[in-house]
Amino acid sequence: MITAGIDIGSITAKAALVENGKILGTKVTFTGYNAEAAGRKVYEDVLADSGLEASAVGKIVSTGYGRNSVKFADRTFTEIMAHAAGANFLKPEVRTIIDIGGQDSKAIALDERGKVKNFVMNDKCAAGTGRFLEVMARALEVDLDEFGAMSLQSGAPSKISSLCTVFAESEVISLIARGEQRFDIIAGIHESIAARISSMIARVGLTEPVMITGGVARNAGVVAALEGKLGVKIAVLPSAQVNGAIGAAILASSL
Amino acid sequence: MDTMTEFREVADQPYGYLQKLKDQTGKKMVGYVCSYTPEEILLAAGAHPVRLFGTKQQIHLADSHLQSYSCSIVRGVLEEGLSGRIGFLDGMVFPHTCDSIQRLSDIWRLNIPFGFHSDLVLPVKLNTPSARDYMTDVLRKFQNDVGRALGVDITDDALQKAIGTMNAIRQSIRDIYEIRSQYPRLMSGADLYTLVRASMMMDRERLAGMLSETVVKMKAKAAGEKPDPSLKRIVLAGGMCNHPDIYPMIEEAGGAVVWDDFCTGARYFAELVAGGDDPAAGIAERLIRRVVCPAKHAGLDRRAKHILRLVKEQNARGVIFLLFKFCDPHAFDYPDIRKSMDEAGIPVLLLEMEDPLPGEGQLKTRFEAFLEMV
Repeated sequence: MITAGIDIGSITAKAALVENGKILGTKVTFTGYNAEAAGRKVYEDVLADSGLEASAVGKIVSTGYGRNSVKFADRTFTEIMAHAAGANFLKPEVRTIIDIGGQDSKAIALDERGKVKNFVMNDKCAAGTGRFLEVMARALEVDLDEFGAMSLQSGAPSKISSLCTVFAESEVISLIARGEQRFDIIAGIHESIAARISSMIARVGLTEPVMITGGVARNAGVVAALEGKLGVKIAVLPSAQVNGAIGAAILASSL
Repeated sequence: MDTMTEFREVADQPYGYLQKLKDQTGKKMVGYVCSYTPEEILLAAGAHPVRLFGTKQQIHLADSHLQSYSCSIVRGVLEEGLSGRIGFLDGMVFPHTCDSIQRLSDIWRLNIPFGFHSDLVLPVKLNTPSARDYMTDVLRKFQNDVGRALGVDITDDALQKAIGTMNAIRQSIRDIYEIRSQYPRLMSGADLYTLVRASMMMDRERLAGMLSETVVKMKAKAAGEKPDPSLKRIVLAGGMCNHPDIYPMIEEAGGAVVWDDFCTGARYFAELVAGGDDPAAGIAERLIRRVVCPAKHAGLDRRAKHILRLVKEQNARGVIFLLFKFCDPHAFDYPDIRKSMDEAGIPVLLLEMEDPLPGEGQLKTRFEAFLEMV
């Protein structure tokens, strides 16, 4: 049976099609203002890319913060379950997932069977999320896609002491005014995210192997800062951003 | 009007209700902030005890007296006092529990001039041989202070009668919890929350009657019910919950709150005062025996054992801790309790809260994920 997973995040909407343990296709679009329309669009796009008709799909599971606006889904699961299912499918040995999305960050501990044992989510504030990076990229006038590579050139990351997005932004602005190098500031921003995330990891307990999912996994600077802070290797799969959607499609196959 | 509607009206518009009660009965209204307050003594003095829960308004007046790292309950109660919204109160009781409540008492005394003000300096260690005598003496002094301030002689007979009323109230709320724990669908979590909250503000005589009526009705309804094994049974723990919306969120995710360990919940009705010749000693005995608040000490693991026992007795699948941000006593207790839960294999979710609540989406996701997990 072909199944679909749709993950509506705060910034991007993701879709994945899976059949008999094989990924047929994935797609990422922007969520924008209308989560319901974004869900429909990303689903249509992934079907078109894979050359499939909607009638070929047996079951659909939606996840992510906009999961309830996907009216055509058969069932919803929280993104915590979806990321666990995705990780367990792609890399069954994973025991800790770090998921950093647009407005949420999460640390998820899995047991020996890949089931969720414990999880921690960030608070209401945006520190340590993709949104935080977006705000900083704007302040620094750097394209967010270049953030990772730029920060890796830094030998002396700047100190960002505030965890609050608003205060950190003004800290960054004063660092710019002081003439600090852009790549040092960016590396400092990544260090501050890593500090934030590693305190969440400490709450659920760190067990290797560790995998990172969510859009921020594409930022090599954040991954390197996290590896440094936690002292472990972190697996980054090419599908990190669509891991929740893949997990949702896997969950759909056992409905 | 049916009893639930009346509970709802009191819980929604408590100040209107209390002002009307005061106008009609002429009773002195005495506010309090902690479940160690001996309501029996206030009742025996002919006064009316009123539990304060914080504020539903934006906090700004209190911010010039308390730092933002005090919990939102203490800041909220001060906000209500400073704003004049609870100007109908004739007095306040501040039991010695957490540091913030003690300082709230001082700020209150200096800034909100009205009537009777009492610091109830309870023992901190409740498991020592002298704690019981100490507690009894403190309560006797409180009895004298209240009597003098309100110009009444509090007789032992009046105290015995008040003990009877409070025992009846506690027993009825416990009965309601127990019936509901067996058949959670008989009363929604939000209604239970409303009932308990209203109980701490209503005229206690009338309340006792309404509660026993509710018990009779629930027993009748329970006769035709069957237990629903598909419900994921959850215990809530923490200081207090100011958010009735939490219950439907848990219910929509397939769960049911079957018991709690809140100051404004099960700790309020836990244990009855035993009969005896010395009413103050009886009240002291109850406060000593009752499950402790984390601001008190009664052995290192008493609360952890209590919550473990609740989970077992209530056949719960997990515990959700709702802790207020900046509540030190609860935060310091949590790691050890958590360890006991982990060792017993009981799933736990920790939510740090503050009034007002964070975005509903994130909160719902946490509840849903936890219920999927258990």
